[in-house]
Parts: sequence; structure tokens; C-alpha cells
Amino acid sequence: MERAPAPPHPDYPLLRPIEKPGRSFYFIVGVLLAIIAYTGYVYVRQILFGLGVTGMAQPVTWGFYIINFVFFIGISHAGTLISAILRLSKAEWRRPITRMAEVITAIVLAIGGLHPIIDLGRPDRMLNLFYNGRLQSPLLWDVTSITAYFTASTIYLYIPMIPDIAILRDRGVRPRWLYEFLSWGWQGTEQQHKVLDRAMNILMVVVIPIAVSVHTIISYIFAMTVQPGWHSTIFGPYFVVGAIFSGIAAILVLMIVFRKVFHLEGYLKQIHFNYLGILLLIMSLLWFYFTFSEYLTGYYGHEPNEMRVFWYKFTGAFAPYFWTMVTCNFLVPVILLGIRKFRTITGILFASISVIIGMWLERLIIVVPSLANPRLPYPTGIYIPSHTEWMLFIGGISVFVLGYMLFARFFPVISIWEIEEGRHESAKAVTERIASYMPDPQPSSAQE
Amino acid sequence: MKWGMVIDLQKCTGCGECAAACKVENNVAIVDAGQSAMGRTMLWMDMLTIYEGEYPRLRFREIPRPCMQCDHPPCTKVCPVRATYKNEEGIVAQIYPQCIGCRYCMAACPYTVKSFNWYKPEWPPGIRETVNPDVSVRPVGVVEKCTFCIHRLQKAKERAKHEGRKLGEKDFQPACAESCPVGAIVFGDLENTSHRVNHLSSSPRAMRFLEDLGTEPKVIYLKEED
Amino acid sequence: MNRNWINRLQIVSISLVWVLFTGIAVWVFNLIKESLRLHDAPDASVGISIVAIPVFFTLASVLTYVFIGLRKGRRKDVEP
Repeated sequence: MERAPAPPHPDYPLLRPIEKPGRSFYFIVGVLLAIIAYTGYVYVRQILFGLGVTGMAQPVTWGFYIINFVFFIGISHAGTLISAILRLSKAEWRRPITRMAEVITAIVLAIGGLHPIIDLGRPDRMLNLFYNGRLQSPLLWDVTSITAYFTASTIYLYIPMIPDIAILRDRGVRPRWLYEFLSWGWQGTEQQHKVLDRAMNILMVVVIPIAVSVHTIISYIFAMTVQPGWHSTIFGPYFVVGAIFSGIAAILVLMIVFRKVFHLEGYLKQIHFNYLGILLLIMSLLWFYFTFSEYLTGYYGHEPNEMRVFWYKFTGAFAPYFWTMVTCNFLVPVILLGIRKFRTITGILFASISVIIGMWLERLIIVVPSLANPRLPYPTGIYIPSHTEWMLFIGGISVFVLGYMLFARFFPVISIWEIEEGRHESAKAVTERIASYMPDPQPSSAQE
Repeated sequence: MKWGMVIDLQKCTGCGECAAACKVENNVAIVDAGQSAMGRTMLWMDMLTIYEGEYPRLRFREIPRPCMQCDHPPCTKVCPVRATYKNEEGIVAQIYPQCIGCRYCMAACPYTVKSFNWYKPEWPPGIRETVNPDVSVRPVGVVEKCTFCIHRLQKAKERAKHEGRKLGEKDFQPACAESCPVGAIVFGDLENTSHRVNHLSSSPRAMRFLEDLGTEPKVIYLKEED
Repeated sequence: MNRNWINRLQIVSISLVWVLFTGIAVWVFNLIKESLRLHDAPDASVGISIVAIPVFFTLASVLTYVFIGLRKGRRKDVEP
């Protein structure tokens, strides 16, 4: 029996991907599943034979897995952090962006959080962490903070999604039971709106320190050792800045992709890209400031072990990666985003991809050189990642893309109710707010 | 009791007997040539190559480097599961069944003394039957390092208890000290005045590697006499 | 799927969240007890963990608040 078509909705472009997924969706999902299946096979080989299938050895005992761990968790930052900060500062232009950002965080945290397990020599003994964990180890701090961030960001993604899920439920979108279950009886009454608002207000404040702590604690894994190039007090803020930097780039890439694929030109306009592009530029300058401080301090001190690592990065075997990183993270974004003529959507796309590559290189440059240059007179270490490590990297990215596509298939990537709220209430709220900034009118008796 | 080691570089000839004896005593796995070229050789006692001087007056020598058995070990601080810890007698021990193979201790050790079992240890034909029964053979995926032959300490303690006497200097000697043909490696209780290490450790020639890091290693080297 | 099942599933899911977070709190306390017993110099680590537990419970409370609040805020004419 034919179901009656759902009534037209003013924001139909946001609902169309859910109600009418195209054929290309299934094709791409198929390709991704194939890649992920092969990655699974490669990982099972690693479990069976041991970490020998990777390219790691003494002294470079950490490689791609730890690099990607830091990289993925870094990208998670922009999500919740940006959406929380934009909501807190009441920036109206955030409305089409917050949902996409929050989804990035949730998915990428899950992938990043799995990477230390992939890196373990004995993942079958993982439960030792829970039975006899040592709180003194930065790895345990990591477990706690990433769990906290993952739960916080999932809740922070879910609660603002409730009204949108209710829209899908009311339109009878299949599978109906899913939307019924998740919508928690939302009807849009005034009382329910109040509850939601209050919850979101608490969460957006709570989530920010959790997010900052996560990448700070990840930096402590390196900073709490005494190794040259790692034992630096700047690591905490450096990592957080780098994380926000790479995260904004990731949001921008996703925005541009969805805009093209879902025809969201009406929602993601030039001004959104302009503002986020300027934020990316600011983060690029901040990143450069931290990097410059870090290396100038090391160079000025001229401590011999630090200098070995320094020259290894600047002129040694890692020089190509180091200077590519500086180009990708600083030169390209500053030129493409600083000059207004280049700050087009294409320019922003190039700048964002450049930043993502540059930030991955930065993680590489943090992890490997310090390990490759031991203090005692050993030969300099060489690290060549193996097929297993490359596949797990590609697999991780595929899981991210698949997760995102599945999300976009069942839930709107732009918050429909917040756009509605923006249409009806924002103009008035903003006008009132701006009026309150203006100086009070002079009483007429004071005028001469 | 604080077990320590003094290595006299004046006597040491760099022959590498200590490294070989350690490998045999502790069932340290033998890796094939390809793995070794990658840097996966497993040597609890390694021979460090030190270059001195400049060309044409260049000389190099090989000196033994066991685990430094630090009193403030950077490795035990970072282990998430307490698979490496310092016991009451100062030995930094490994608990193989506990290790999850995260290799954080390997990254944190400033002396790079730890080894990892990248693959399941395989023994050339015939060698498997000759492994030391007192020492466990480690499985794949765990970290290992020099333990000052702690299994010999356990046996010595049991024997001394059985014979109703205290532990003497000759009762417990690790394989490297026992095998050194010139007696360059001296081992004993740093706190016991009747042990040789007690005097040697305060010799004017005594030095420790990377002392400024505050790790307080218990392996002391005696510099060559002028 | 009928309404009752969905209702029960929702209540089960929110209880599971509390079970999970209580489990995490119990785990952290256990680890603190172990480290004190073994004199493993906890200090800052204990501090960090102690901060983490209220964070988890705040999150669970917010979620529960929304859950209960949305039910209470429903119009009276619709069956629960």
C-alpha cells in the first residue's frame, strides 16, 4: 500500500538525503566496506603474528598508530569545541555548522580512541588496564579524559538532535521505531524547549574544559618523559591549538563536500566560509607562534641532545617533512586565507586540505625524531611504515567517512530546528542585544 | 640491600663475552638478519660504540651497557599496568604476564635499554632444547630487559636460607659478571661494605651515564686511567 | 514496534548510562586504593581522577534531566 507522501517542508533540502538517498550512496558505502574489510584482515594478521608486521623497531618504537591516535583525536577538537564556543558567544552564523562539527567529534574520537589498542603488543591483555591500572601513568589519564570527552560530546551531539529526530518521526520516515525511540517524546511544547535550552547551556560550558583537557593530557604522554624534543612545557597548549587548527580545517572540508553533494548552497553561504576561513587563518598564525617559540627556545639553549633532534628536523633526514609541514600549515593558509581575493570556497578548500596534511606531518615530526635520536651513542633510528600501518591509516579514514555517511543517511547534517529558530527569533534577539550595547539616551534636561 | 654493578673500562677489552653470556643465560630471542637490520636485535647487554677524538686520532671502543637499574627509573613511572617496577632491593623488574606491550617504557627510557618481542621468538634448530629452565621464555608482544639475573638471586637466596647463612658476595653474580674474562664487571650489594662494588662505586674514576637526568643509575663505569 | 516496548527500551538505555558511569567511578576508586596500598606516589594522578568522577555524573544528570523533563513537558492529551 502506498504511504501518503509527507507534506512539503521549508527545509526539504536537509531532509532529502534521508528520505531519498541516491544510488551513489550505496555504491560508496560498498567501496568503503570493502576497504574496511581488507583493513580488518590486515589487522587480524597483526594480532596473529605480532607487531613485527609493522615498520617499528628500536629506537623508533612508536609510529603510525600513535601518530594517527594524536591526529584523529586532534581533529575531534573543533567539533565540540567550536560548536560550544560559538553557542556560548551567541554567534548566529553557527546554526548550519554546529551539527556537522559535533558529528565529526563523536566519530573521530571513537576511531582515535581505538588506536592505542591497535598499537598494543598484547591487546588481549587490555583488561589489565582496568584491573591493575596505574593512575600515575599519563596513559591512564588519557583513558579517563578521552572517555569523558567521548561521552560528553555524544550527549552534546544527541540532545540538540532531539527536535530534528522528532521532525523525522512526525514525517513517518523509516525506520520509524528508531526515531520514536530516540526522540524521547518531543513535541515542541514550551516546557520541553526550556528543558532542552537549560541542558544545552550546562553542556556547552562543561564540554569546553573537558575538550581542552583531552589534548593537553595527550600531549602529556610525550611531555612527561625526559626525551629531547618532548620534555617541553609548551606541549599542552601547543597540542590544543594544533587540534583546534586541524579540526576547523576538517569542518571546512566537510562543509564544502556536503554543500556540493546535498546542494546546500542555500544554507552554507559564502559568509559561513568566510568567517570559518578567518578563524582558520587566526589558528594558523597561533600555530606558527607556538611552533616558533618551541624551536627558538630549543635552539637558543643549545643543549646537545635537543640540538641533535633540532637539526634532524631542520636539515637532516626529516627536513623534507618539516618544511612541507611549515608550508602546509603556515605559508599556504596565510596566503590563501589572508588575501581576500583567494578566500573563495575553492581557496578555502585547498587551504583546509593543506592544513590537514600539514597537521598530520606535525604529529609525525613530534613522534619520530625524538625517538630516532637516542641520547646514548646509537645509530640514528630509521622508521619505514609497513603496508599494515598504511592500511590501518586508510582504514581509519574509511571508517570515518562511512560513519559520517551513515549519520547523514539517517539524520540531518544541518540542525533544522535551529535554522527555524534562527529564522523566527534571532533577528529580534540580536537587535535587542545590540540595542543593549548602545549607550543609554541622555535625559532631555541634561541638554543645554 | 641495593644491587649494583661497576664496569671497569680500563680492564674492559670490548670482547662482547658479557653480551653473549647474557643472551644465553636469559633465553633472549635470536632474530633473523632482516629483522636485525631493521633494528630489532634483542640484546639485554648491548655493546655501545663510543668514538673518541677526531680523525686521524680517532679511536673507538665498545663498552658493555646493561640496564642501568635506575633508582629513579623513568620507565616505571609511565607504565600503565605496573608491568615494570622497582623492587625493594633496587632491581627494576619486568612482569611479563602483565605487560600489554604499549612500549611507553621503551619510549621513556633515556638509555634505550629495553627490547621488544616483535614476533614470537623462534629458536634455531636444537637451541630450543638448551634454553635456561630458570628463566621464562617471553611471548610475543611484551617488553623485556636486563634484570641483573634476578633468577640467580632467587636461587641464591633459597640456597642460603636452606643452609642457614646470609647471602655472600660470591653467591649471586649475574651471567655477564661471571663470564667476563678479565673481571671488568664487578657486581654486588652497594650498601654492603664487604662487597667490592661498595668501594669501587666511590672511586675517583667512577662515572654514571646521563647523571644530570636524575635517574640515579646503579651501573657505574670506571673511566680509563690516564 | 509498539509504544510500550519503545518506552521500556528508553528507560533501559538511560539506566545503562548510569550503570556505565557508576562503573567508571568504582573503577577509578579501585585504582586509587591500589596505588595507595602499593605506595605508588599517586598525588597529582589522584587529583585528576577525582575531578573526572563528578564530570561523569554531571553528564549523566544532564541526560537524565532531559529525559525526565521531556516526558513531563508533554501535552496531557497524548498517551505516554
